[in-house]
Order: sequence, then C-alpha cells, then structure tokens
Amino acid sequence: MTHLKLHRISKAFPGVKALQAVDLDIQPGEIHALCGENGAGKSTLMNILAGNLQPDEGNVTINDQPVTIHSPQDAFGKGISIVYQHLSLVENLSVAENIFANQHPTSGWGIIQYDELYQQTELFLRQLQLDKISPRMLVSRLSPAEKQLVEVAKALSKKPSVFILDEPTASLAERETRILFDILLKLKGEGVSIIYISHRLEEVFLLADRISILKDGNYQGTFKKEDLTKDELIRRMVGREIQSLKTESYVQDEILLSVKNLTGERFRGITFQLHRGEILGLAGLIGAGRTEIARALFGADKVISGEVVLRNERLHANHPAECISKGMAYVPEERKTLGLFPEMSIQDNMIVGKLKNALHGRFYNPAKAKQLAIDSTVKLGISTPGVQQKVGNLSGGNQQKVVLAKWLLTNPDVLIVDEPTHGIDVGAKFEVYEILKTLAGQGRGIIMISSDLPELLGICDRIVVIKQGSLVGEFSRNEATEEKILAMASN
Amino acid sequence: MRYCIPILTLALTLGSCELPPRNDTISKNQTGKAEAQEIEDEEYVMVSTAITMPMYMNRDQRAFKRWGEKMGVKVSILGPADWDVPAQINIIEEVIGTRPTGLLINGTDPAIAQVINKAVDAGIPTVVYDSNIPNARHHAFLGTDWYEIGKMQGEEMVRLINGKGKIGYMGILGMSNMEAGFQGLLDVLKNYPDIEVVGKFDSKASVEQAARISSDLIAAHPDIAGICGFDGPSGPGIALAVKEAGKTGKIKVTTVDGEPEHLQLLKDGTIQLLAAQKRELFTWYGAQFLYDIVHQTNPLSNNDTKAGVTSVPYHVNTGLLRITKENVDNFINE
Amino acid sequence: MVRKIIEERIYSLLALLVVICVVASLTFPSTFPTFENFSQLLLNLSIDTIVAVGMMLLLISGAFDLSVGSVVAFAGCITAYLMTSLQIPVPLAITFGLLSTICIGYINGYLIAYKGINPMIQTLAMMGIVRGAALMLSGSGVQNLPYWFNAIGQSKLLGIQMPIWYMLVTVALFTFLLNKTIYFRQYYYIGGNEKAADLSGIRVDKVKMMGFVISAALAGIAGILLSSRLGAALPTMGRGLELRVITAVILGGASLSGGYGKIPGALLGALFMGIVANIMVISRVSGYWQEIILGIILIGTLWLDKALQKQYSGRK
Repeated sequence: MTHLKLHRISKAFPGVKALQAVDLDIQPGEIHALCGENGAGKSTLMNILAGNLQPDEGNVTINDQPVTIHSPQDAFGKGISIVYQHLSLVENLSVAENIFANQHPTSGWGIIQYDELYQQTELFLRQLQLDKISPRMLVSRLSPAEKQLVEVAKALSKKPSVFILDEPTASLAERETRILFDILLKLKGEGVSIIYISHRLEEVFLLADRISILKDGNYQGTFKKEDLTKDELIRRMVGREIQSLKTESYVQDEILLSVKNLTGERFRGITFQLHRGEILGLAGLIGAGRTEIARALFGADKVISGEVVLRNERLHANHPAECISKGMAYVPEERKTLGLFPEMSIQDNMIVGKLKNALHGRFYNPAKAKQLAIDSTVKLGISTPGVQQKVGNLSGGNQQKVVLAKWLLTNPDVLIVDEPTHGIDVGAKFEVYEILKTLAGQGRGIIMISSDLPELLGICDRIVVIKQGSLVGEFSRNEATEEKILAMASN
Repeated sequence: MRYCIPILTLALTLGSCELPPRNDTISKNQTGKAEAQEIEDEEYVMVSTAITMPMYMNRDQRAFKRWGEKMGVKVSILGPADWDVPAQINIIEEVIGTRPTGLLINGTDPAIAQVINKAVDAGIPTVVYDSNIPNARHHAFLGTDWYEIGKMQGEEMVRLINGKGKIGYMGILGMSNMEAGFQGLLDVLKNYPDIEVVGKFDSKASVEQAARISSDLIAAHPDIAGICGFDGPSGPGIALAVKEAGKTGKIKVTTVDGEPEHLQLLKDGTIQLLAAQKRELFTWYGAQFLYDIVHQTNPLSNNDTKAGVTSVPYHVNTGLLRITKENVDNFINE
Repeated sequence: MVRKIIEERIYSLLALLVVICVVASLTFPSTFPTFENFSQLLLNLSIDTIVAVGMMLLLISGAFDLSVGSVVAFAGCITAYLMTSLQIPVPLAITFGLLSTICIGYINGYLIAYKGINPMIQTLAMMGIVRGAALMLSGSGVQNLPYWFNAIGQSKLLGIQMPIWYMLVTVALFTFLLNKTIYFRQYYYIGGNEKAADLSGIRVDKVKMMGFVISAALAGIAGILLSSRLGAALPTMGRGLELRVITAVILGGASLSGGYGKIPGALLGALFMGIVANIMVISRVSGYWQEIILGIILIGTLWLDKALQKQYSGRK
C-alpha cells in the first residue's frame, strides 16, 4: 500500500512564496483533509503532486522511495489521480470516451472497440453506483453535478492508490454529495489514500480522519479529527495580522451607486448601495457569484432584471464602454487573460482605458501617451526600466498596478476590483491597499471582491457576504470578524 | 495660404498625368534584329498559365523543348502553376524587359491582347498558340478551331445514337473557346429533332466534378443516350460515372484530348470518340515561326523589317486528331 | 541598431531586400536594375499590396479573410458588367462595384464579430459564393471596357503607371491611420487580447466588423484597378491571391495570432515576393519551382526570426 510523504516542499512564483517547507504525510486507507483559505497554497501543492509543477525544494517519497513527478502522465504511472476543480472533460465526446480517454480498449489493429468500451464503462459506472449516467451520452448534455461525478469516475478509471479531490462538492447537490461520499468511503475501505480539499468544513469533519492546515503557504500542522473543533480549525486557517492597515474611513453620505434586485444568470436579487469614499467588500466562497455580479454591473455580462443607479441616473449598459464613459472601472481577477495585453508595452496598456487621453488635436500622439504612462508609473510606484517594456515581463504586483493605472487615467467614480492582490507579493499588496485607500479619500466608491478575509477586514468600511448567488448578510467594519464571515459564507 | 502647396501639387500632378493612347494604332515597330547575333545567344521564351497541367507538360512543353534541342538554341518555359491569367500577363511584362529573341504565348484569354501588343511594340517577335486573341497584333497564330471540335463530336454522337435520344454536355463555363465548341455541337444537333439536349454543365476543370455531374445526370435521366465533354478532365470524369452506373457502351461518350488516360478509356470501350488537338504542332511550329522571323528565312522584300512584312503564315489551323477504336492503338506508346 | 533590426521585422526585411537587390543587380546587370524592370515589378505587385494592406489590418486584430481573391474578381466583373451590359456611366458603375464589395465585407464581419462564426469558415464560404457570382456576371470575361475606365489603371504619372501611385497612397494612408488615430489603434488591442480589449471599453465586435469591411473594400478597389489595367474583367482574377497576400503580410511581420504588424510591412512583404518572382522570371526559373521556393523562403524567414529572437533574448 502506498504511503505518500511530502517533506519540506517549497515553491515560489515571481513575487510570491506559494509554499514554504510544507510537510504532509498520507497513510494508506485514510481520508486526509487539506484546509486553508484561498491562496493558502493548496492548489500549488496539488499541482506538484499531479506533476504540473516542480517544487523548488523538498522531496516527495512514495513507500520511502524518493520520486520526482515529471508530468501528469508520470503521476498516473505512480498511482496518483486528481479530480480537478475546473472540469477537464471534453464536451463533445461521450461519457465513455471521456472516462477512458487514451486508454480505449482496442483491437490488435489499434481500432477502438466501441461496444466493449461502452460495456466496460457501464460496468464501471455501476460499481460506482452512477448507473443513472449513460456511457453513450455526450458530456455536454450532462448537468454540472453529473459532469463532476464523471470527472470522479474518470480519475478512478486509472485505479489510483492516491486519490486527490479539489473542492469536489462545489457543484454537487445533497444527493450527489452522498453518492460521492459513499464512493470515497468504499475506496478508503480498499486502502486507497484520499486527499480531500474543501471549504465546506462540515464535510471535512464528516469525512476526514486527519486534517492538515495551510496558511499563506506555511504548514500549520496535522490534527486528528477528534482533536480539533470547527472554531479551532477556522482560527488556525485565518488570523493573519493586518491591523496596521486600517486607519480612517472616508465614507461620505452621498450614495454613488445603488443596486436594486439585480438578477443575472448566476445570481439573483442583489441589492446594495455604495457611498462616495466607501470601500465595500464582497465576501464569499469561490463560485459564489461575486465576479458575475461585478461583470454584470460593468456591462460585460447580461442582466436579466433589476436596476443599477449611478449618481441618480439609471444605467442600462450593454457594453463596458458605456459604463466606462459613465465613470466605472473594473479590475478583473484573471489579470493575464482579462486585464492585460501581455505582449504590448506598459504605455499601450495604460492608455487603452481612454485612448482619447493621448489625442493631440485630432491625432494620436505617442509622446503624450508616453508622458501619461511615465507619470502613472511614478505615481503608483511601478518599477520598470521604461514604459516601452512589455507588460508581460513585469512582476504580478507591477502588472496589477498597471491595470490600476489604466483605470485611474479614466478618472472613475466607481472602481470594482476583483481579487486585486491575487498572486502578488506582500509588499505589493500593501501598496495596492494604499492606492485603494487614497482613491476612497478622493471621494470615489470602491467595490472590492476578495477571498482573502484579513484583507477585506483590514481595508473595507462594510462587507456584504454572497453565497450561492444571493446576498446573505452584511457587516459593518466593527462587527465583522473572519469567523463570522466564514461561517455565514460556508453554511 | 496653407492650402497653397497642396493645390499647387495637385495642379502639377494633374498636369503631368499621361493618359493611355486612345486607340491601339502605334506605328508598327521593327521586328527582328537577327544578323549579328550568334545562335547560341538566342533565347525563345514560352509563357503559359497552369504550366503544371499534364497535357501542357506532355505535349506543348515537350515539343517546344525538343525544338530547342534540335535547333541548338535556349528555350525557357515560364508561367504560374495555376490557371491565373493576370499572373501570366505579369510574367510576360517582366519577360519583355529581359528582351528575349522570341516570345511564344499561350492564348489563354482575350485580356492578354494588351501585353501582346506591348511585346510587339518592343520589337519582340511574338507568336500566339491555342486560342486566338482578338485585337492583338501578334505576328502569327497557331491553333485549333474549337467550333470544329464541337462539330466533330456532334456528328459522331448523332451517328452513335442513331439520331435520337437525350444528350448532356459539359466543359469549363466562361471560357470563350469552350463556348465556341458548345456552339459547334449545338449547330449539329439542332438538325435532329429527335435529339433532346438536357443540359450544359460546368465541370470546373475537375475530374471529380465531372463525375458528380455525370452520375447526377444519369440518375435524373436513366435513358440518357450520350454525354459530351469539352475539357480534359471531363473525359475521365464522365467515364467514371458511366462505369459506376454499369452502362459502359450503352451511354455514348465523346470528349476531347488524347492523354494516356483518355486513350485507355477509349480502348476499353467507355469512350467512343476523342477529338484531340495537335498541340505539339502549336509550339513546334510556333517556335519555328519565331526563328524564321528572326532569321528572315524566307525574305519577302529587300528588308522585311523596314517594309513591315511578316514572313510567316499569319493564321494556322493545325487541324484535329480523330481518335476512335479503330486507330487508338497507334496513339498508345510502347 | 542590431537589436532593432532583429526585433522589428520591417527592418530585417528591408535589410534582406537590399542584399537581394544588390546580389541580383550584380548577377543580372543588364536586366534587373533597370527603371523598366522596377516599374514593371512594382506595377505587378501593386494589386497584391493594396489587398495586403487590408489583410494586415485584419491580422493585426487576429483575424483573416480568405475571400479577398474572389472579391477582387467580383468587383472587377460587376463593374464591367454594369458598364458594358447595362451601359451605366463609369463613375456610377465603380461606386456601385465598391458598394457591393463593402456589403460582402459587412456580411463577413457581421457574422464573424456578432454571431461568432469562425473567420476561416465564414470567409472560405464567402470565397466560393463570390467567385460564383463573378462567373455568373461575366461569363468568359468582359472585354472592351470604356476608355475612361481603362484610363484609371493605364494612365501614367511622372512616367509611372497609376496603380503604383494608388498602392503608395493606400500604404501611406493606412500607415498614418494606424499610427495616428485612436480608432485604428484599437485593432492592436483586439489582436493583443480580445477579452481584455472588451473589458477596457473597446467595442470589439463593431471594430472587428469594420476590419472586414475595410479589407473587402480594399480588395474591391484592387479588383477595379486590375480590370482597368488589364482592360478586361476576368472571373479568374485573384485566384490564389488570398494565400499570396497572407504570406506577404506574415513575411511583413504580422502574426496569425494577432497583435503584431505594421502597414509598411505589407508593402515590404509584397515587395519581397515580387522581387523573388521577378528574379525567377529573369533567371528563367521554371514556374514549377516558384511556389516551392516561395514556401521555403516563408518557412525559412519565420524560423530564422524565431531563432534570432531566441538567441537575442537569451543573451539579454
């Protein structure tokens, strides 16, 4: 039976230490829960085990033999199988073809034998009590929950001895969750080691034998379930010191933005108000619908019903361009894919929010764009040899400041920032907080989405909690604690 | 004041604009510059289009090269790989700048008239082959009468089907020589009231397309009596469809070209008649004409160049090959 | 300096062109470096270049248009048809011809930008449709076009035939527009990151659609010029032009994934291909070889480019 051990694993990304000397010890036939906030380093750890990333330091041993996992194929070969949070299924292929991707039964000539494939799959699904899913069905026609279960089946088809699940129940309802738990308990009985990552603490306590905790890439210890209470667990996961941050509040009386009963595809009935000078936090679990709300406010996604009033004027935006011209700005979470033009210069990235800024008379003047960009780099403290540098070569923190600079050049009234400190180092984080505070001080309203609770608590004047597409609660800055928010967001 | 310069520039520009000549009657330039030249320095250039087409390669180009070897002069073959008339024109224009001894041009389209005249005006002996080009002042033309191709096919078809039944025909629509061929065919058929023409189709110079059209035709008219083809690929295409329908010999097929593939199909009885061009003669005699102009082989005056006389035949019809089961073996090599 | 040459395709291509021209001039002193040859060479590539400018714009925005070759034929044929068969005055016929190509571009752009149809499939389908329409309108081609129509492409200015001037004006105009107007700068952003451009307030769909309209309109102008120059409208005009133009534009520094490229690069790319073709004609390299050689040059250039850049950034 496999005995998996991680010893002093460290991994750094440019500007961030994702993991620092993390130890983990997985016994055969146990369910081992891995807990930590978003960004604590769980995904990095899993990617190392899956062979997607190589650790900078430390080693992995299987049965006391040191191993290097070069690639996902390598991981499969060593008996490690992962169910990803983001689905890895091919929508246009059948369930059977997805489950047995690359390991189809074939005839001697390499021809896929479909009948056998479907039979095998059916048998396999029945073993997993998933007989409701037909092997011939196209994955695109399955519900999100069914897709997740097919994902589990796919990972199990490789007969793993170490089975890792990353937030497997995020898209599952009660009934499917129970099916999944049955599968996991059965595997445990067969001696398979299971690493279970979840935000849902009740599940953790229900399922796990032992619990390991990560915080900011640091290992916080491993505990037997019996030795830990839920409160204790939360306390160990959170509680970073950011008190030094918050000094004063700039909230004014004037209501800048009023959102009433906003409903979109992934959220409904959202109502809140944003004052001038206020920093409003949107807390919630990943997938709760916060980004979708932000995108809808910004005109990037469709709104089904509800109204948005900006400075007493009702907004009907079909495109971000309209919101930008009315004084809104949005810093998206996925900086590289949605926020930046990685191959273009800092200057070009900064001017794009309002190209008109670089007009000289009627014509675009690169010198003017350059001057504006230079001013911005000075103002926001962006360290770069010059504004002609490709933005893709900057560190995460500087990239984020370029995105902020882009929006500051449009002089927005309402700034929505989505995970603004995601993947940037501690020093740059504080600079971002300072920038946001300064902006609030100038009378702008800021909506901040963050999964980093200490950050929200440190900087926001008010925090609303989003859970499964609904606004479920609100805390003023004095009432809010990490425990309260986490409890409200996850229950 | 600030508009002064642009206006001035515009005025100057318009003033220096040079319009093309109204009608194409520039004085006939001298042609031929023979005498002093060594024969090894002579270069005869042939410019065609779609120069990778097997028929062009096996017939036109091979004969031209053979002529070059026999005469001991340099011969070059230029042109785009695909059927691209503007590209052929561009190449002729660029070749004119290099002043070859003689220019042999495949008459692909009436649009090449201008560039032919340009070559003639530049003093380069110029011969056109295959299809004649109206409004061009080339020194000689060698080719086939496409009307005759249609007529030959029509007469044979009438004989094959005893003057009654349904007939379809195909070729590359939009090409003037094909249209002449179609006319020849129709002029024969219109004398036979029992013959019904069921359609004219575009084979798009593709075997697949010709086969598709033919099988559709056979499906729509199970009693179809004959199919005529006017471009090279339509022969094999029609034959394929007829064979697949199991009507070999029942549906009569007449078509053009005498490529090995066509000959084989005629031999096995799928095709009944091939009306083939004598393409080798186009380029062989075309080149010979150029040579004779340059060397004034048959002087018709004291100085043909000064007198504005061209000392070769102006219009040559090379005639047709009529290939049937009786004589086909003589065309198959080996 | 060295760095600039390596990093900017325009400069490296220019350097390469100079080398080729010098070598060719030494090898063929009496035929290559002559005014006659060069004006002929430029004339021959002027049509390609005008189309290439539009294609460059599209490639900058990360799209391309396979229907341009057919549009060239269609524009010439419909204009000729209107003038000869329907006896419509020349200016009116040209206006109508251009409007019809703008419509084609609009349909392409609308379906691609707003309805999400893949550009390759959309323009491939349009390529067939438009070529068919050109064949229907002109049959075997329209000859004997009106004198004033032919004058557009056959007149000379300062001893140089007009299409060369039109080409230069087009290149200059679009170079200016892409450098100096914020509307056209948007194409770089769309090519750089379409989603980020949308979230930065660029109306990606509108701007993209306009790219297809411009590309088709330039192809239309090229088609009218070509038939004016030939004095005839042929349905076979512009065959294979789309791939030739895409090749030229990529040689000129564009990337199929978008975001890169400068308008003068389109001219240089076309010039490069024109000169290579010209040298092959002068040296009597058979036509079979031309496309093989061009293909090798394209692959070689791109490979060399990657290798040089890698080496350079490795040393940095």
